[in-house]
Amino acid sequence: MQDGLPDISRRIPRLQKCIAILWPSFLTAIVATGLFFSAFDPDDLFPFGADLEISRLGIYTIGFFLFWLVTAVAGIGTLYFAITNCIRQGLNKPVD
Amino acid sequence: MTSPASRRPAETRTDDKLEQSLYAKREKIYPRQVHGLYARLRLAGVLGLLGIFYFTPWLRWEGHQAVLLDLPARKFHIFGLTLWPQDFIYLVFLLIIAGLALFFFTALAGRIWCGYACPQTVWTDVFLWMERKVEGDRMKQQKLDAMPMSAGKLRIKATKHALWILFSIWTGFTFVGYFTPITELGARLVQFNLGPWESFWVVFYGFATYGNAGYMREQVCKYMCPYARFQSAMFDKDTLIISYLPERGEPRGSRKRGADPRALELGDCIDCTLCVQVCPTGIDIRNGLQYECIACSACIDACDDVMDKMGYEKGLIKYTTEHEMTGGKTHILRPRMVVYAVLLLVVMGIFAYSLGTRTSLGLDVIRDRNRLFRETDQGLIENVYTLKILNMDKDTHRYNLSVAGIPGLELHTDMSEIKVMAGDIMELPVRLRADEAELTARSSKIVFELIAADHPELAVREEARFLGPR
Repeated sequence: MQDGLPDISRRIPRLQKCIAILWPSFLTAIVATGLFFSAFDPDDLFPFGADLEISRLGIYTIGFFLFWLVTAVAGIGTLYFAITNCIRQGLNKPVD
Repeated sequence: MTSPASRRPAETRTDDKLEQSLYAKREKIYPRQVHGLYARLRLAGVLGLLGIFYFTPWLRWEGHQAVLLDLPARKFHIFGLTLWPQDFIYLVFLLIIAGLALFFFTALAGRIWCGYACPQTVWTDVFLWMERKVEGDRMKQQKLDAMPMSAGKLRIKATKHALWILFSIWTGFTFVGYFTPITELGARLVQFNLGPWESFWVVFYGFATYGNAGYMREQVCKYMCPYARFQSAMFDKDTLIISYLPERGEPRGSRKRGADPRALELGDCIDCTLCVQVCPTGIDIRNGLQYECIACSACIDACDDVMDKMGYEKGLIKYTTEHEMTGGKTHILRPRMVVYAVLLLVVMGIFAYSLGTRTSLGLDVIRDRNRLFRETDQGLIENVYTLKILNMDKDTHRYNLSVAGIPGLELHTDMSEIKVMAGDIMELPVRLRADEAELTARSSKIVFELIAADHPELAVREEARFLGPR
C-alpha cells in the first residue's frame, strides 16, 4: 500500500497506521466477544466441540481473535478509504 | 470553541516537527523523580489500586474465591452474589455508571483519572520506580543510554528487563487469576503445568503490561487514549486544571538567591526547567494547558519546592480554574454538574434496585432446530423444545411448569418432577401439542411459566413461538 500511494500515506509512519488499525479494533473486539459469548454458550454453538477437545476458555480466545481480525479488517478499510479520498481531493500536497 | 486543547498557544507548535516521527523515533522522556504533597497522594493511589488488583483474587468468601469471573463455567462470583450470562445487563449498567462517573469527575476536577488512577499511569509509575532503582536517577539514566554497549551496561539493562518481565508475568498471572481459580492456577504454575490457553493469556497480558508501562508510556496517553481526545469537551471555566500563572511568573529568568526580582524586572519563574524535567509527558506547563498534560501534578510539587527555596510564595504552578485565573470565583454547583450528578444517581439507583430485586431463577426456551413441527397419530400438531432452567438461588428447589397461549395446549415431559440443585442448570425436553383448529396463524405466541413449588415468589415467564401448518 505504501508504495502505491503518494505523499500523505508515506507521511503517516507505518507504526502509527498499525496502531490506528489494531488498537480501536482490539477494544471493539473485547466488547463484541463479551456480548457474543454472554448470549451464546460455546457448548451450544459447537455440539461437537467435545470432539475437538477445545475448552470453553479456548473457544473464547479463538472467538476474541476472530472478532479482532474482523474489526481490524474494517479498520484497514477505513484507513484505506480515508487516505485514498484525501488523495482524490488533492489533500496530499505538503502543508507548508 | 473554548476547549482547552484549542486554547493551546502557538509556541507549542514547534513540538509538532518532532511529533511527525511519532511512536517510533520519539525522544525518550526521563521523568525526574519528584517529592511533595501530590507525589505522596499519587503514591497512595498507586499502592492502593495495585493492592486491590493483586490482592483481590486471593480473597476468600464462604469457602470459594471471593471474586471469580469463572468464564469456563459461565458464572461470575462476586462475594455472595452469583451472576450468570443472563445477567449481562448488570455489566452494561456498570459500564454506564463508570462512564457517567468519568463525565462527572472530569467536569469537576479535570483529568484526575489520568494523573492518579489510570492503569497506564499506575503501572508506568511502578516501572519507572524499578528503572530508577536499577539505573539510578534521571542524569544517570541519560548517561547510561548515551554510553556505548559494555558489559556493565548490559548487566544493568538485563537486570532492569528481568525485573520488568517478572513483574509483568505476575501481573498476567493475577489477571488470569480473576478468571480461573487462582490457588489452583498458582499450584499449576509452580509445577509448570498451566493449560495452553491460560499460559497464553498470562503471556499476552504480561506482554501488554511490559510494552505499555516499559516502552509506550506517555505515548499511550498522547496517541492511543480515546479519553484524552474527548475529555476537553467536558471542561468548562470552573473545571480544576493545573496551570502556571504567567502574570506572576513572567518575565522568567535566572537570578542569584536573595536577589530582588522586581529590581531585575523579573517575575517569580527562575526558569530552572524542573517543571519540564519532572513531566512524564515531556511538556512545558508554562506554555499553557496542553492536551498532553495528564494532570499528574508533578510540576506543582517541583515548583513549590523551588519557590520554597527561593523564599517565594508557593503556587506559581497550581490547581486552579479558568475563572479563578481571570480573577473570578469558581462555581462548583453549575447546571452541567447537576445534570451529570442526577443522571449518575438515577442510573445507580436503578442498578441497585434491579440487583436487589433480582429473581434467582432463569428460563431459556430453545426450539428444536431439526423440525418445525410434526403431526401426531392423534392428529395434533406437536412442537418440541428444550427448556434450560437455571437455579441461581442458594437452595435446591422443585418447580411447577405451565404453558399458555393456545386453547387446549398440552404439555408433555418425561420427567416426573422438575428439581434443580442450587447453582445448577437443568435441560428439560418438552413437547407441546395443540389442535390444528385452534391455531390462528402459522406462528403463535405462547408463554411458559415456571414457579418454585415452595416459594411462589420465585417465578419466571418466558415467551416462545408455536409453529403450525397454517
